[in-house]
Amino acid sequence: MTDTDIIVVGAGPAGSCAAIAAAKAGKRVVLIERGPFPGSKNMYGGVIYPRILDELIPDWFEHAPIQRWVVRRSTMLLSDTGAFNIDYRSNAWGQAPYNGATAYRPDFDNWLAQQAVAAGAELICSTTVTGLLRDAQGRIKGITTDRPDGDLTASVVIACDGVNSFIAKDAGLYKSVDASNYTLGVKETLSLPKSVIDERFGVRDNQGVDIEILGGTSGVNGGGFIYTNLDTIALGVVLKLPKLSAQKKRPEEIIAELKRHPAIAPLIEGAEVIEYSAHVIPEAGLDMMPKMVADGLLVAGDAAALCLAAGIWLEGVNFAMASGMYAGQSAAQAVTAGNTSASELQSYTKKLNETFVLKDHKKLRKIPHLVLSDRVQHKYPGFVTGIVERMFRVENPHPKPGVRRILREERKKAGISLMDLVRDALTGLKGFG
Amino acid sequence: MTIAVCLKWINASGQTDVDDDRFMGFSYADQAALEYALRVAENTNDEVIVVTAGPVGAEAVLRDAIARGAHRAVRIDIDRSHDSATIAQAIAQVVAHCALIWCGDYSSDRGSGSVPAFIAAELSFAQALGLVEIQVPADSLHPIRALRRLDGGRREQLEIHGQAVISIEGSTARLRRASLKGSMAANKQAIDIVTVNQVAIETPPTRAYRPRARTIAAPVGSSALDRVKQITDTSSAKGHGETVHLEPREAAELIVNKLREWGYQS
Ligand SMILES: Cc1cc2nc3c(=O)[nH]c(=O)nc-3n(C[C@H](O)[C@H](O)[C@H](O)COP(=O)(O)OP(=O)(O)OC[C@H]3O[C@@H](n4cnc5c(N)ncnc54)[C@H](O)[C@@H]3O)c2cc1C
Repeated sequence: MTDTDIIVVGAGPAGSCAAIAAAKAGKRVVLIERGPFPGSKNMYGGVIYPRILDELIPDWFEHAPIQRWVVRRSTMLLSDTGAFNIDYRSNAWGQAPYNGATAYRPDFDNWLAQQAVAAGAELICSTTVTGLLRDAQGRIKGITTDRPDGDLTASVVIACDGVNSFIAKDAGLYKSVDASNYTLGVKETLSLPKSVIDERFGVRDNQGVDIEILGGTSGVNGGGFIYTNLDTIALGVVLKLPKLSAQKKRPEEIIAELKRHPAIAPLIEGAEVIEYSAHVIPEAGLDMMPKMVADGLLVAGDAAALCLAAGIWLEGVNFAMASGMYAGQSAAQAVTAGNTSASELQSYTKKLNETFVLKDHKKLRKIPHLVLSDRVQHKYPGFVTGIVERMFRVENPHPKPGVRRILREERKKAGISLMDLVRDALTGLKGFG
Repeated sequence: MTIAVCLKWINASGQTDVDDDRFMGFSYADQAALEYALRVAENTNDEVIVVTAGPVGAEAVLRDAIARGAHRAVRIDIDRSHDSATIAQAIAQVVAHCALIWCGDYSSDRGSGSVPAFIAAELSFAQALGLVEIQVPADSLHPIRALRRLDGGRREQLEIHGQAVISIEGSTARLRRASLKGSMAANKQAIDIVTVNQVAIETPPTRAYRPRARTIAAPVGSSALDRVKQITDTSSAKGHGETVHLEPREAAELIVNKLREWGYQS
């Protein structure tokens, strides 16, 4: 007899959804979190797409601790002095069935974990899982923790311990770890009165804004973001690790420079930094994913590198919640069937393949590399802002230049060959499907 | 025999007036008290009962204490806005049978450390409050030897016998970690709930503080300014403060008489 049916390691979005799904299926579930409460150790940019919760918590939008509903999404291309902005607004996103929402992780993750407790899971905090327990045949049969008398046995362990999953590595599921597959995310939380944020971003009540930024990262490949909470702004950058270390720049310098950019500075003027945080992101999608199933073990969320980081999309929480839910369901089925071998647990990967989790990753496989490539990073923002600058500049008595001429001249100025431009356009078209 | 530990459910994040489950816990001083109680009980094979006065949420600290080795838990269902004397009165009725009552010297939510003293007064137990060093005997409850902080860096040596309330500083011991199995068992353990009606509370009538009227001579002086100065000017010494060398009983009498004279005591 095992201590419990299913152990879930990590009470982030993946772990809590795994625990909710398994507990709703009537299984005994223990959810273990190293922080003093769920979400206490977790950071991210700030936008969640929670529609996937419809299945587990149908009225989630009534109760989830949301800051603002995103009704404006922008993509900003920054050159040294200019900014080209594509902006879409839909107030309908601020009503059911909703789209994205900003939320603080210590609020959201804690709320989600409490849903797991309400569903019958047992939540144990301040406890770090230190390893896997195996039987004589080497099959996983539980976990060890840093607590006295801290071993716990179960039929299935679900690893939701986030990026750099120590458990997935311990189980030998990652081939190798390559730093170029990771980015470093760094974020400042900036405090401003709500009325000032509403005015500067053109929103009211609990409407919010999501801005993704390309360029403006001081020559280090990556991107930036700005999200609005009720009375704070999340501003951050995501930086490719090898480039960051090669350039010997400090992430806080890069944020400081982004904050000084003429298009950004007026948005955050007068704000006070109330938090600085950093976290690693698994950026390479399908190209870095480990095996997600072993005898008695499933891996979900960032632990399985399921975060989608494809330029205008930085979505990890929804991928974590979905994969966690499917892992919880598969684990519960396997426990019911009395067979928790890898072959039985493959129903999990099948489900991932059938749903947006792996479909989006497959479709967008080439995009993370394209977005982080040197050309897209260092040449295209200047190229695009150069074109727009000249199209909108009136230089009378000179007549307006033709668009083709502008394109040709700006392409030359940016140092992009026609071949490369066509190739990138095709990759982009194919990649974005 | 039973050893009691009083734990106050507080917001440990510094936002003392907000109940946020994520940050609730008990002070370092209460943690040290629990640790000493567990040590003593291990030596003597006694039972440890943990007590808190507060709403349902406060049961979390009781479960935490059970996970770490306490045997039984009682929550007194009482509004925390009561004054220390009332809270102490309620606690006293639950712990009256205990051999030792351990408390933190004061909680970190602006506590004044008065509850332990009130409990001792209520039960007529000995009191050893504000201890900074404690030695517990290897296999019996008594005598406990302790050092108490006095003003001016002085220390008082105490030897504790019989039923006593002990309050200690947070720096005196580090609370042990709970075992994983202990935490899981504690989640299932029943907690006794005592409602306020069950403990008879005598709330003393409270009324606004009004010092008794006393006669003050009208200020004298030729100009209005002089007369106002006489009442309001604090720059010149007025002879307040008096050092007396007396036996404790006489000193206490003198203080009480003075308080009466100044109108603070009726
Ligand atoms: C700067 C940045 C910006 C981002 N922006 C966004 C965004 O705007 N929108 C979005 O959807 N995603 C975003 N992401 C990605 C998103 O944060 C992750 O994809 C998501 O948090 C993954 O959830 P998870 O549950 O898999 O892992 P995590 O959220 O990392 O949770 C893992 C949990 O496991 C616990 N844990 C770890 N190890 C152990 C152990 N040994 N024992 C016990 N517990 C353990 C941790 O404490 C944690 O609670 C961003 C990430 C970063 C870094």
